[in-house]
Amino acid sequence: MSDANTLLETIHQGMYITVLIILAVMLFACLIRAVRGPRVADRIVAVNMMGTMVMVMIAVLSLYLKEGFLIDICLIYALVSFLAVIVITKVYMGVYEEKYHADEEGEKPYGNP
Amino acid sequence: MEILEWIRLVAGGALLISGLIIFLIELYGIFHLKYVLNRMHAAAMGDTLGISFSLVGLMILSGFNFTTLKMALIVVFLWFASPVSSHLLARLEVSTNENLNKHCQVYPILENLERELKEEKEKEAGGGKK
Repeated sequence: MSDANTLLETIHQGMYITVLIILAVMLFACLIRAVRGPRVADRIVAVNMMGTMVMVMIAVLSLYLKEGFLIDICLIYALVSFLAVIVITKVYMGVYEEKYHADEEGEKPYGNP
Repeated sequence: MEILEWIRLVAGGALLISGLIIFLIELYGIFHLKYVLNRMHAAAMGDTLGISFSLVGLMILSGFNFTTLKMALIVVFLWFASPVSSHLLARLEVSTNENLNKHCQVYPILENLERELKEEKEKEAGGGKK
């Protein structure tokens, strides 16, 4: 029993494909902001937005292909992108402090080499 | 029931399309605003509302099964995680920018800010009573 028969199914498939194409175009536009942005935080904001759009795309794809397990990938992607933002922020703040404020008074954690 | 399927299609489709429109507005805000802290404001609010509308629309389109529960879990997790990452990004920007005075007003001493806020409140209360 092919399921592209009824009018309802055709409208569903057409809507999903349109949403996927529009989201893909917006993804490229976010990439332009990630390349152009003058500060570091600009780039992290743009990458976070791209991750959120990819999550909506995976959810739409899971309904388009009628596979239930793709939603698990979406959930794990949310967790990983949140963790990536936190780790990059902490690392960059640490690198900045060490590079530009290393000559001020303060505790050096590892002592002099 | 045929009419229920059509109602589900229209309601879910409308919510999905409005989520997409919110993402478009957020994309325009990212390019139009001038400083990174303003762009972060647009990105955080647009992300949260856009993904909520899109996923609720997809939940209606998907019916009553386990996939819907997982989508609800994604929405709840994003509501907790998105403000935390925005706060951390704002801290990164404030602590690594040498000339922050050009973009926002910086109060190095806390008592000056509290004194200014108290004076503003007294001025407004005095103006309202007249």
